Amino acid sequence: MGLRKLWLVIERDLRMFIQYKFMLIMRGIWFVSQVALFGLVVNNMVQEAAAKVGISYFHFYVAGVTIITLYSTSMFIGYDIFEEAEHGVFEYLLTLPVSRRELVLGRSIGGGLRSFIYVGPLLVVVLFVLGVSNPLYLLVAIASLFLFAFGVAGMSITIAVGMKSGDKYDILIGVLDALIVRLSTTMYPKFYMQQATPAYATVADFNPLTYASDLFRWGTGVEGALQFSPLVGVLGLFIFFFAFTFVGVVFYERRLEGGGWQ
Amino acid sequence: MKAVLHVIEYDFRNFFRYRWFIIGLIAMNLADLFISAVVFTQMTSIVNFNYFRFFAPGLAVVGLFASAFMIGREINMEVRREIHHYMLSLPMTRTELAVGRVLAGGLRGMLYMTPLLITNFIVLRFPTLPQLLLILLALLLLAIGISGVSISIAVSTTSFEKFVTARGVVYYMMFFCSSVFYPLSVIQVLASKGLWPLVVFAQMNPLTNGSDMIRSFLLDPNKYVFSPLMLLNVAVFSGIFAFLATFAYAKILQRH
Repeated sequence: MGLRKLWLVIERDLRMFIQYKFMLIMRGIWFVSQVALFGLVVNNMVQEAAAKVGISYFHFYVAGVTIITLYSTSMFIGYDIFEEAEHGVFEYLLTLPVSRRELVLGRSIGGGLRSFIYVGPLLVVVLFVLGVSNPLYLLVAIASLFLFAFGVAGMSITIAVGMKSGDKYDILIGVLDALIVRLSTTMYPKFYMQQATPAYATVADFNPLTYASDLFRWGTGVEGALQFSPLVGVLGLFIFFFAFTFVGVVFYERRLEGGGWQ
Repeated sequence: MKAVLHVIEYDFRNFFRYRWFIIGLIAMNLADLFISAVVFTQMTSIVNFNYFRFFAPGLAVVGLFASAFMIGREINMEVRREIHHYMLSLPMTRTELAVGRVLAGGLRGMLYMTPLLITNFIVLRFPTLPQLLLILLALLLLAIGISGVSISIAVSTTSFEKFVTARGVVYYMMFFCSSVFYPLSVIQVLASKGLWPLVVFAQMNPLTNGSDMIRSFLLDPNKYVFSPLMLLNVAVFSGIFAFLATFAYAKILQRH
């Protein structure tokens, strides 16, 4: 596998990301309004509950919204795949002197990397707000966020190549987004999910967003102690990354043959 | 009137073409109520505040807003694909066409919101007949106003991305700066942090007045007091944006 060719595919996806400037602006506005409005106001509403579990809800939520933003921008790659199928760009991509595997793997990496580049400046602001208690923990957390972003991009590719209708993909992603975000610890501590309905907490235990957000909070010191060992979190994200990146690669590769996307 | 009804019928038929979109919207609304609101209820129970009961009327307003706003997406698409030339060639006046579209947007919002409102009645309590009529009137006015905002934005740009961005700004400002998700008293704390313009906006926001009006009839009337000014606020919002949208739709389309 040629690394140079792989890089060319990644570079193309990075360039394509800039086309979504209005979508990116909108995600930025969403992030700011979530932090500066929703986060601040809900912090006033639940501060006693947050204090009971030893956290500041505002800090807890800021970290969670960062993970939601990373998740939603990593999902963008699926929309690119639909656009290409609709506009006949797939045929062009297949004529390039790049192997199927390089093309598919490059897309998965590019999908994750570009979301990280987008979230990067937000991450700097968030780290300024939250502070860093242990640089080593933070490094482990950031490395696991890379795994998370690549895994989400792989998941998006897997879903996109498994569907033929762009509308249905859009809706499925919307529903998935609604469930995967709400059934994770991005918005509220697991302690209260457990109290509300143990089933919610059980689902959250297997949710990659839970691993990513809890590891990020642990890395920044928002949460002194994790509900699980950091090793379990990193392992969970590694399994997620490995499963979806390689399942996505195999699916996408098979779909490319014989015009399966049409 | 017949021409206006034809336009409304056309938009209702279009609405049911987006059944997948509607299913997605319902799933998101239900996830908000039965997952997020249930967990937040646990968090607020420490201060004896039942968030689930508080949020349920807000959810009806969220659903109404999202579905009434959909008309803008369709009109923007028509402008981009130049379908509006066909619309303008129909045997009806520009005003009839524009009024029909604004009303259709609002009525579609009401249709979508109805199951959410019934869920409220089941979960909270059934209102008296005069209360029910007041709730429906306020929500209809609100839906027409939202439809007006959406159409005004849709005809102002031929770029879908700009429309989506503007929609995002309106969504987030109106939702997060209102009492849809949290009580107005909690937002008022922001004034002490120098964010008083947001507090003033939240107080004047028709979504605040609409959702608090439903709460005044379905929750404890001592905590949420109904005031005719709430209805007046929603009526003024509706009047301004229905007029603006009708004017903009009729005039701007002729220029394209």
